[in-house]
Amino acid sequence: MAIFNAKDRVIECKIVYYGPGRCGKTTNLEHIFKAGKKYTKSDMVSINTKGDRTLFFDFLPIGLGKIRGCDVKLQLYTVPGQQKYGSTRKLVLKNVDGLVFVADSLEVRREANILSLKDLQENLAEQNMDMSQMPLVLQYNKRDLADDGIPILPIEVMDKDLNSKLKAPYFEASAFKGKGVGETLKKSIQITLTYLNKKLKWSQ
Amino acid sequence: MSIKERIKALVKEAELYQSQSLLNQSREKYLELLKLAENDESISKNKKLLNDIKSRIRAVDDEITEIEEADKKSPELTEEVQNLISSLFSFSQNQATAAIEGAVALAKFGQYDKAVKELERLVKEGPIPLQAAINLLRCHLSLDSPEVAINQYKRWESREELGKGDLKYLHKFLDDHFKKKGIDIQVSEKDLGVSEKKEAEEKSDDLIDLSSIGIQFSEGKFKDKAVEFDVSFQSGNTVSIIIPPTKKDLAEAFKKGLRLPNIQCTSTIAIFNGSGVVSGKSNITTGPKRGSFSIDIIIDGK
Repeated sequence: MAIFNAKDRVIECKIVYYGPGRCGKTTNLEHIFKAGKKYTKSDMVSINTKGDRTLFFDFLPIGLGKIRGCDVKLQLYTVPGQQKYGSTRKLVLKNVDGLVFVADSLEVRREANILSLKDLQENLAEQNMDMSQMPLVLQYNKRDLADDGIPILPIEVMDKDLNSKLKAPYFEASAFKGKGVGETLKKSIQITLTYLNKKLKWSQ
Repeated sequence: MSIKERIKALVKEAELYQSQSLLNQSREKYLELLKLAENDESISKNKKLLNDIKSRIRAVDDEITEIEEADKKSPELTEEVQNLISSLFSFSQNQATAAIEGAVALAKFGQYDKAVKELERLVKEGPIPLQAAINLLRCHLSLDSPEVAINQYKRWESREELGKGDLKYLHKFLDDHFKKKGIDIQVSEKDLGVSEKKEAEEKSDDLIDLSSIGIQFSEGKFKDKAVEFDVSFQSGNTVSIIIPPTKKDLAEAFKKGLRLPNIQCTSTIAIFNGSGVVSGKSNITTGPKRGSFSIDIIIDGK
């Protein structure tokens, strides 16, 4: 849960980018880091292994400035997507406030998306959190690959696979080109802060 | 789509997946391409093309092997990143507990040297040395270094760095661990005094450290059977047990989400009945326990 310092009026919250391996979680954060350098005093921390795959996590702290009289600080994380890093994902998810699920639009990753979302649901349940009640945004990434003739899943199929019950807001994106990244983050921040306001009454 | 167009499309897909490190998918596409080429009368004579496809498959295989090799080792991170891990993954409001959580997080991220140093410091300087000491021993034991764990215990014993009650608790912890693992190592014990037991009890927060759990299944193939397991790792209320590959059917009985209403929990200071839920199951792919199954259980009822 977010840390809210009522005396100094500072709220610090945690948003985690989740999704299957190689879906573009790190690319999202890299774009946010490049585009929003003025909002961050620190570097983005990435711990990668061979093939640029996230080994542990990525971490990007951002200061959003004053919102409704409160200094809002964000911590953005990614989890390692590979199935074998389950324990790391659980650790990174601890005390999460908001979630972005990055789904891979490639046809060959359809099952990986479904398994990863299920994994997220189970890991949240272990922390007594209900995914359907959490501030969650879906991002259907790599949409640009259709232009290169690579088989990708239609949005309707992805939405049916992943979002038929959740009914979460979703965005089409090409994180590689920076498209849809800002919209996804903006929505995530908006619904996460609204959710936290109900719980912590941080806004004036 | 003509055969040439089909080939071009498959090459494009395979190359893209390879560039995105989706290596298994890339390999599948190259294999599909090879099959297509071999089965086409005109193209199957083009040895140069077939060899090129085969060499691409080998390149993908090499990349898969490189990644698997890289995954076997945990990289040593910079001190700055290690410090960041300690601070990001210590959640407790209590400073002393948070310091231990930070050190345990380092161990979980494979930063054993730093974790050991930090836990050693917390044993000497921290306000809850027993918790730090237990986690330090766990670090050594999870690295399969029982001798190092014993030597550490002996140092504490000889230098009187810990209270008698704490030493007694740690002695029992090691002794139980070795007995359960079938390791024939005797841990020497000086005159520690039984009356100090309460001191150790008072220092443990949360769920006390468990050495083993006995599970009675309430459903499935093992219904009504009781099986005892050593606790290989514990973090808060979550314990991990290891099941060897020879007992695959037993491991399969632990489905994620399975409720375990009857768990007998054994610690060095108490035995009590509890309940829990299976929170995770994974295959151990590297190290001496390779092929075994690791099962995580949240103990949620005492």
